[in-house]
Amino acid sequence: MDAISLMESAANGALIGLMYSLVAMGIVLIYKSSSVPNLAQGSMTMLAAYVLLAFANSAGAPIWAAISLAIITMFIIGMAIERVALRRLAGRPIIMILMMTLGLEIFLRAGSMTIWGGTTRPMNLGISDAPLFLGPLLINRAYAFGAVVTIAMFGFFVLFFRSRMGVVLRAISDDYTAAWSVGISVERGVALSWAMSAVVATIAGVLWSSVQGVDQSLAQLLLKGVTVAVLGGLDSIGGALLAGVLLGVVEGIASSVLDPLLGGASRDLVDAAMLILTILIRPHGLFGRHDIERV
Amino acid sequence: MTLKDRGGDAPVLECRSVERRFSGIVALNGIDMRIERGEIFGLVGPNGCGKTTLTNAITGFYPPQRGHILLNGRDITGLAPHYVATLGVARTFQNLALFNGMSVLDNILLGRHIHMKPSVGRTALYWWLARSDETLNRAAVEDVIDFLQLESVRDELVDGIPIGLKKRVELARALAAEPSFLILDEPMAGMNQEEKEYMARFILDARDERNVTVLLIEHHMDVITGICDRMLALNYGEMIGSGVPADVVADPRVIEAYIGGAHVAR
Amino acid sequence: MLFRQAGIFHTDYSADRALFPIPADRWMIGILLLLALAAPIYMNTLYLSSYLLPWLVWTAGALGLNLILGWAGQFHLGYAAVMGIGAYAAVHATRAGIPWEIAIVLAGITAAVIGSVFAFAALRVKGLYLALSTLALQFVMDWTISHVPAISGGTQATLQAPDIRLLGWAVTSDAGLYYVALVWCVLVTSFMLNLRRTALGRALVAVREKDYAAAVIGVNSFYFKLVAFATSSFIGGVSGAILIGTFYHAVTPEQFSVDVSIQALAMVIVGGLGSIISSYFGAAFILLMPGVMNSFISWAATKFGFSLGIETLAHLPQAFYGALIIGFLLIEPLGLGKIYNNIRDYLLVWPFGYTKK
Ligand SMILES: Nc1ncnc2c1ncn2[C@@H]1O[C@H](COP(=O)(O)OP(=O)(O)OP(=O)(O)O)[C@@H](O)[C@H]1O
Ligand SMILES: [Mg+2]
Repeated sequence: MDAISLMESAANGALIGLMYSLVAMGIVLIYKSSSVPNLAQGSMTMLAAYVLLAFANSAGAPIWAAISLAIITMFIIGMAIERVALRRLAGRPIIMILMMTLGLEIFLRAGSMTIWGGTTRPMNLGISDAPLFLGPLLINRAYAFGAVVTIAMFGFFVLFFRSRMGVVLRAISDDYTAAWSVGISVERGVALSWAMSAVVATIAGVLWSSVQGVDQSLAQLLLKGVTVAVLGGLDSIGGALLAGVLLGVVEGIASSVLDPLLGGASRDLVDAAMLILTILIRPHGLFGRHDIERV
Repeated sequence: MTLKDRGGDAPVLECRSVERRFSGIVALNGIDMRIERGEIFGLVGPNGCGKTTLTNAITGFYPPQRGHILLNGRDITGLAPHYVATLGVARTFQNLALFNGMSVLDNILLGRHIHMKPSVGRTALYWWLARSDETLNRAAVEDVIDFLQLESVRDELVDGIPIGLKKRVELARALAAEPSFLILDEPMAGMNQEEKEYMARFILDARDERNVTVLLIEHHMDVITGICDRMLALNYGEMIGSGVPADVVADPRVIEAYIGGAHVAR
Repeated sequence: MLFRQAGIFHTDYSADRALFPIPADRWMIGILLLLALAAPIYMNTLYLSSYLLPWLVWTAGALGLNLILGWAGQFHLGYAAVMGIGAYAAVHATRAGIPWEIAIVLAGITAAVIGSVFAFAALRVKGLYLALSTLALQFVMDWTISHVPAISGGTQATLQAPDIRLLGWAVTSDAGLYYVALVWCVLVTSFMLNLRRTALGRALVAVREKDYAAAVIGVNSFYFKLVAFATSSFIGGVSGAILIGTFYHAVTPEQFSVDVSIQALAMVIVGGLGSIISSYFGAAFILLMPGVMNSFISWAATKFGFSLGIETLAHLPQAFYGALIIGFLLIEPLGLGKIYNNIRDYLLVWPFGYTKK
């Protein structure tokens, strides 16, 4: 393993990591507002990709129109999920809430496959696959595009959380009883966070399906998303961004070193190990608040 | 077990210049306290003066940063709470710490934990290994239930009984452990006069019939002067008076701490 | 009147501590046991070995998970991995010529030892973070099982399980295998019943409810968490081994993947946390659901004359399964056990319903 290819793994890893951040941001948005760990974020991403495909193929809309339609659809689906499934569980033990998001995960994943079937379909965003060189490093254009979009999304959230609605969401995440008592509609805020999270999932779905096609494996982004979200601190959007880069780089380097030794597929192992280490060493993550559950 | 077996002539509890800080706040500063066998020892002071913190220091929840705590002559500073419990220290909490999802009976049975040997083997082979032991402990618990007159709520869920009874159940759980030293953190908070009198009677009986030494934290001065043998007054984590209750409550520093400087100015 | 309580007086503590103080319950348990024992006589072997048997084994497994989740209150999203450890341990042990009786005990012990690793996560964190770290451990164990050829028997491999031999007799008949499952299920159930009335069970619940209150009465939380993880892993490991020995007859990594962990969790939660009979209901529900769904779909398809694509048919039951979990949590979060209890409470005073408190 020479230095150049190691650096190449690291650079592409960082870009992929930023795309993981997008999944993690969806988890963080919901966790911030309602302390619900959304284990259905992966299948929401997958559903979004299928919805987009449906608009693009069956309805024959041009890709940018299809993306807009998918964003609107997912916004509504996100709100509906909160309204129907999560709102009534408020105040229930966390195990019930976890089970609910797992139920949603199964339902959304199997539901999409019931409707659209399981064969992998391509998603073409028109990104050229001509090689892109950054100095001596060969960079994947699709990853680079995804990374740029992720950073743009992050910028949007920075601005959003300064807006009036954003401040309301911050108040809810800080202390929802207090927010409630000063007349903020906590329910609306939480519903909005689900809707936004579904929109983020749509964008993640678009980017990831342009890389690996549309199929069930999109739902497996959950493990990456959760790892990044926990590593960054479950309530920190900025943390999710940086943790994504960190995980991407670690994964890229570790897998290029480990894969030959372990006979491939060491990425998931690296993710799981990162998740466990984070929780054992620094459960509140890099930038999360300290007051998380400890023994 | 006779009293002598439980540690000879040493005081039941001794604190030697105990100090506890919480990032800047000095919650306890140089506390010296000796509680003799068979005493009911009062601990008073205004809100936030460190009474509960002292309790937590003794029982191992907040080990002191400086000083020593001795139980029956043995240094217990910094031992884990569950281990302190096995040495014969029982306590109740100011805000109640009952197991709400369990029945009154199970709560009190849990008080017997240190006398039982919970294990997987005994659970699997209950009929041969655990039944007689469980039954014996159940009998001991029924004694405590009799003693504190809790028969009527024995099978109720703790969640559903009134607060005065909950305080009594917590006392029962503590007594079920057959402790040599019992710490009661405001056992009469929020009780009416009649309930207070009941509780005071239970505490006296516990001392006389069950040989426990009691550390009693209370805001009701009438109770302290009525049943305590000696007492200690704290203010801002410092000792401001100790001795026989009649003397301590007459101490101008104690009066000042409780009522405020302006009122005693003469 | 059916479950009459009036007129039952206990004259000593051990009678009061009986498992089933109400005679009607004792009758019911007795009859159910008889029915279970006689099942091979009146039930056709297809039902016996493809429904009843896995139900019993899964119930035992679910009870093990319920021990950690419902009693000790510790999250465990990696239970299938623990079952898998037991399964592989038993298969390897029997293939190495160790008698099956000893092999399943070894399986349980291996699972308990490795499963206790989960307890060290529980020492550091609780709630959501414990759930996530156990989930991650499941991934690590999955990965290890499928990527270490010495365990899985090579990539994509299926490891054949030797026939069960008890005291030298080969158990191969459907009835024989069924009895193995039945005995294990009864053993685990009686352990869990005893747990409800012994110091160990109370200590576990104490740790679950309030750790500081547990400490003050002398309960060492960490020790009991460790005991809970080890015991539940033992039960899980043996259940996994028996599932392979009596039902699958061969072991592959997918049998114990993350999805199976979630399935076990669903059994416990749809059934009802912290209740024994609920685990029976939960396991039955989750196991039978796909089959019932499939027959319902094909019935509806012929009845209403529509035809579904092969993909749709393949994924529809799974989607319903997700929907049912969601529905349960919304409609009866306390699970099937709660529904059973409501019926039982009703019968306790029936026909004098007005006497209810
Ligand atoms: N865990 C903690 N962290 C930080 N400060 C604490 C902690 N526990 C207690 N304190 C501080 O220590 C001081 C003493 O508190 P403590 O609870 O011992 O008072 P108290 O005498 O029991 O009062 P009360 O009569 O209200 O029960 C207070 O200033 C309190 O804020
Ligand atoms: Mg206090």
